[in-house]
Amino acid sequence: MDSLIEGFRKALALIFSFDEKLFGIIFLSLRVSGSALMIATFLGLPFGALVGLRNFPGRNFVISVLNTFMGLPPVVVGLFLYLILSRNGPLGVLGLLYTPSAMVVAQTILAFPIVASLCHSAVVDVDPIIRLASRTLGATPFSVTITVMKEARYGILSAIIAGFGRVMAEVGAILIVGGNIAGYTRVMTTTIAMETDKGNFELALALGIVLLGISLIINLGLHVVQKRGVVGVAA
Amino acid sequence: MSFSLKIVDLWKGYNGNVVLKSCSHVFSGKGVYVLTGPNGSGKSTFLRICALLEEPDRGEVLYFSGNGPLKKDMELRRKITLVLPRIGIFNTTVFRNLAYGLKIRGVGKEEVEKRVDKYLEAFGLLHRKKQNALSLSSGETQRLGIARAMVTEPEILFLDEPTASIDQENTAMIERLIADMKAQGRPTVIMTTHDNDQAHRLADVLLRIEDGKIT
Amino acid sequence: MKNKSIFLLTAILFLMSVTSLFAETRIRCASTTSTQNSGLFDHILPIFEKKTGIKVDVVAVGTGAAIEIGKRGDADVVFVHAKDQELKAVEEGYFVNRHDVMYNDFVIVGPPDDPAKVKGLKSAPDAFRKIAESGIPFVSRGDKSGTHSKEMSLWNQTGIDPAGKEWYLEVGQGMAKTLRIANEKRAYTLTDRGTWLALKDIEKLDMTIVLEGDPVLFNQYGVMAVNPERHQHIKFKEAMMFINWLISSEGQQAIGSFKDAKGNRLFVPDASE
Repeated sequence: MDSLIEGFRKALALIFSFDEKLFGIIFLSLRVSGSALMIATFLGLPFGALVGLRNFPGRNFVISVLNTFMGLPPVVVGLFLYLILSRNGPLGVLGLLYTPSAMVVAQTILAFPIVASLCHSAVVDVDPIIRLASRTLGATPFSVTITVMKEARYGILSAIIAGFGRVMAEVGAILIVGGNIAGYTRVMTTTIAMETDKGNFELALALGIVLLGISLIINLGLHVVQKRGVVGVAA
Repeated sequence: MSFSLKIVDLWKGYNGNVVLKSCSHVFSGKGVYVLTGPNGSGKSTFLRICALLEEPDRGEVLYFSGNGPLKKDMELRRKITLVLPRIGIFNTTVFRNLAYGLKIRGVGKEEVEKRVDKYLEAFGLLHRKKQNALSLSSGETQRLGIARAMVTEPEILFLDEPTASIDQENTAMIERLIADMKAQGRPTVIMTTHDNDQAHRLADVLLRIEDGKIT
Repeated sequence: MKNKSIFLLTAILFLMSVTSLFAETRIRCASTTSTQNSGLFDHILPIFEKKTGIKVDVVAVGTGAAIEIGKRGDADVVFVHAKDQELKAVEEGYFVNRHDVMYNDFVIVGPPDDPAKVKGLKSAPDAFRKIAESGIPFVSRGDKSGTHSKEMSLWNQTGIDPAGKEWYLEVGQGMAKTLRIANEKRAYTLTDRGTWLALKDIEKLDMTIVLEGDPVLFNQYGVMAVNPERHQHIKFKEAMMFINWLISSEGQQAIGSFKDAKGNRLFVPDASE
């Protein structure tokens, strides 16, 4: 018990001393996960919207696959990506293994199904009358799609935030493809795992606190967004 | 130049339940056409097919202006519009709801502002301009729906039960607005109602749908 | 508006991640978790970097995985402690220029009351036999690491096959976790001295060394370069600079001067040049 309290005290001291190493790790985490999220959104949002608004053969199958992939085990993604990006693998010539880019790719793969699937739900949840109304006003099919996506904006934002929560907390995939290289591919979660291994609990705990703080901010953001969405519709 | 609309032998059914059975009619000339008929007689379906929002199972909807029939392209679609019974309000401000049809037609920003203000004023909604449209009362919502359609300055305006679920005051207001359109001769209004008195008050031409046919 | 600012933010983040790809000369060294966790690299790499301007990225995994990473060409240098495996991989042509660098030793640790009566023995295989006969739990790394292969060769010498025995716990984890599990289970285990020294005080392990000093427990570390004929993209020149520095008197001195937080010297440099 004493060691836990002592650990917390030291961890907080570390955070508020604005330790350069600590903030370097936090910044890298945000950079990797932010990039992954952006790519996942650029791909997942149109994909989810398309699946939600267009009818095509195999649509239900695509939805099932997306929902299944929402729960992809990160270590499995890491392993597959390792074998693909390794010098002996099909994409080895790119030399991406053990770089931040490989971590971005891994997290993009993890975030994409979440963003796409939740965007799909958000778009499907929009009252069909919105589509009809925009058509009565002379909208082209493309404008109709944009209009529906605008109506689903709170749901879409929730989807993006959910994707961010997933990748920020992830350790399995980035440990394998990033290699946890100090100052280069070492992020919050991999540092926590390693420092715990070393028995260096203060830094691990400090990062744990920051990670929790970020999760809390994300979830508060999500809550505010969802609340705004509900008020808008109910009033 | 006014539009005329020729409906030829329309058939439409949903899940084996036939709603329109060989329905034909010609709307030519300006004015207010009012369709009445019992519930489920196919009034709404008829309007949606006329407004090119739905395809009939059989038969044809033909628009004329001058000589030949018009192609059913975006240009034509943007000259006719239908106000749905539930409107379909966009979750944004009253102003943006009205500006929607103009923006997608590529109307410039200043012109949008001017025209939207004009119609907000005419429909008694100017004081609601910056409010979220979902927070309007049902009467205001109905007026917003018609204003949103009118701001695009259509040739033909379809109204599906415009006063079905609103109070007397708003009903009177909407009837007055339709009467104004009648007086100006623009646009041609084709509307449905289940209120026979209202039909008599507004109609230039009174039509009745029964058994899937216009009589 | 809000969507736009989110877009901008993510775009900026993305650009920053791309620019980081263009960096100074760096080579990649595959090594073991125990070496990294000892803190040795944090001590010696800055000295090398300052001298040559070459940044060494350490990927720390198990010994087996480190050699595999090198074989696949995913690293430039491999720095591990499994001499037999290293020499075999050199013979197979995967690596060149292998050198001994330093050694530390393994110790057998167990509960302070030593229920299997190992204390006093001189030979590690005898100790293992005693533990097996007593039925007291023994925790094995079970992860194909250098420590694990050392453990397996010791079992081999006793003629006992511990696999599947009730008292034999294969955990498939790193050294620190294995020690922690042994502590909880009041079991014996084989550990490198560095991890043992680093962990026992911090975590207040209720364990003690029951056998040390048997020459069979010495743990030789070696370094080798990935064969550039097999992998053209390898930064062979820089890799050789690193290897030559490690075995130079300057590098050897750096290793010898490394001490853990408690002031224990963990590695003995023994490069032959």
